Amino acid sequence: MADEKHIAKVIHFFRKHKRMPSIAELTKLAGFASKKAGYDLSQRLIAQKVLAKDTTGKLVPRQLFGGIKVLGLVEAGWPSPAEEELVDTMNLDEYLIENKEATYLLRVKGDSMIDAGIQEGDLVIAERTNTPKVGAIVIAEVDGEWTMKYLRRGTQGLYLEPANKNYKPIHPEEGLRVIAVVKGVIRKY
Amino acid sequence: MESLTLRSFPRAILHVDGDSFFASCEQMQDPTLRGKPVITGLERGIASSMSYEAKARGVTRAMSLRDIKKICPDAIILPSDYELYSLMSLRMYDIVRRYSDAVEEYSIDECFADLTGMRRSLRMSYPRIAEAIQRDLETELGVTFSLGLAPTKVLAKVGSKWNKPSGLTVIPGREAHTFLAQLPVGDLWGIGPQTASYLTKKGVVTALDFALVDEATMARSLSKPFRAVWYELRSQMVYPIETEKKVAYKSISKTKTFTPPSTDPAYVFAQLSKNIENACIKARRYNQASRHLYAFLKTQDFRYQGMQIELANPTALPHVIVRALREPFQQVFRAKTQYRGTGIVLTELEPSLSQMDLFGEMEGVAASYKIFEHLDAMADKFGKHSIFLGSSFLAHKRGSHEGYRGVAPKRQRALLKGETKRRRIGIPLIGEVS
Repeated sequence: MADEKHIAKVIHFFRKHKRMPSIAELTKLAGFASKKAGYDLSQRLIAQKVLAKDTTGKLVPRQLFGGIKVLGLVEAGWPSPAEEELVDTMNLDEYLIENKEATYLLRVKGDSMIDAGIQEGDLVIAERTNTPKVGAIVIAEVDGEWTMKYLRRGTQGLYLEPANKNYKPIHPEEGLRVIAVVKGVIRKY
Repeated sequence: MESLTLRSFPRAILHVDGDSFFASCEQMQDPTLRGKPVITGLERGIASSMSYEAKARGVTRAMSLRDIKKICPDAIILPSDYELYSLMSLRMYDIVRRYSDAVEEYSIDECFADLTGMRRSLRMSYPRIAEAIQRDLETELGVTFSLGLAPTKVLAKVGSKWNKPSGLTVIPGREAHTFLAQLPVGDLWGIGPQTASYLTKKGVVTALDFALVDEATMARSLSKPFRAVWYELRSQMVYPIETEKKVAYKSISKTKTFTPPSTDPAYVFAQLSKNIENACIKARRYNQASRHLYAFLKTQDFRYQGMQIELANPTALPHVIVRALREPFQQVFRAKTQYRGTGIVLTELEPSLSQMDLFGEMEGVAASYKIFEHLDAMADKFGKHSIFLGSSFLAHKRGSHEGYRGVAPKRQRALLKGETKRRRIGIPLIGEVS
């Protein structure tokens, strides 16, 4: 997202000055001409729970450093060295999700992808796209249902291949409607 | 015909409008619904959104479920899943923000964006930017949108309505007149049916007729909002893009109906109490308070019984309002009457005094605010209403709807391991895949 680079600048500012920027400073940091744009950015970062406002209306960090809570830091007013090291970490959401706006979850039914390690009951993270790559595990719509298979290219064009020898490849008669590619699998025990 | 202006894009305003947004979201997440007449609003008993297939069968907004079943027996009527619609709505705003920081979140299925000045940094013409936004939206959200690109908001709205669904209509200022000549004046944003019929009587039939009224006549015979529309039609921006989140409300109202109706005063009061809690949560979020309150009960035969109360001090504390309403409630409540809804309106909102009050008698209030500050923080963490007033208990226990109208959206019935009824992963779960 476009705000990512602004967040990086806020982190940099914080490391350098050991405090959070004012709206005017934020405006300058982001390279905006108007203070309004800086204010809007602060509102967005507050909405995203990256920043918060304290009782006097000043900006304070909330989840500025990834998913890591920085409560201790707010009270002390100085970052401890350990927390600074954590600036370069990411949380699980960031690790698992590339394009947030295009990401959806589906629950797995059946064992047609068992040899790819995907079991019944797993959650798959899928990203909607118009440009799936051959060889990827994709979500396609076949006969009004979602199906998850490998996308393959054969002599007669694209088809879907299961990861289980008990299932047959699917050669859709009227064009293949791939809607998403699988980006990850979650299994919670 | 003469142009209304010589410039094409003195500013470039984009209006993005979801096509049958709620019903489309439902069709996106369940492929078996595609191509079928889908209607949302089961819990309200009326259609709140209809798929294009349902519209083609004559289903209109706010039509009762009974009438829908008559004209469209195979209609699929679903409970509204506002969580899904809200998640999709936020994604819509964020996708548009990739192309411009100036995005106005106009409503759950609409937004405006100011693209002015973005041609150079994006290396695309305005229409190309609009196409790219539409492509991203439709690919990533699986829902279609209609877009209008024009020099002002009013014209951009004309554009997004021009060609639905999945249309993109570009209205450069110098060509606006050709569009407006074909548009009845009443179809303009901000021109209601009464103004439209007034204008039509005066010979102003099309939107172009309206734009061509001379400035002196216009200024003399029309009030301010209509003058704004007149300027906007002539490509002069009056309505700016408002990127700020709503910071304050003039009034806050919370109303809810329940089924089946009830004659039990304790249950009806609990419903009212729950509405009061909801209204206060919203007021506290915006640091507002009210001392002029209005509450009402709705009977089965659609009659309203109102109660007006004035408090000594403005408040956003539900127990204060509940206490103040007990007596008026007993006065208006009629035994053996079927009630089907309650509501509360906090009016004349003012900035909350909150904790800062110095007077001794306010100490108790300050302590209460402190408590609710913690309750609000707990609600953030554990979900809304994880703690509620005892006076609301019956409303929570029984729920608002029993029978077919009480069916929860699919997502709330398909919880993932570790999710609760109140808190779920903020990513749409689009069903099962085999």
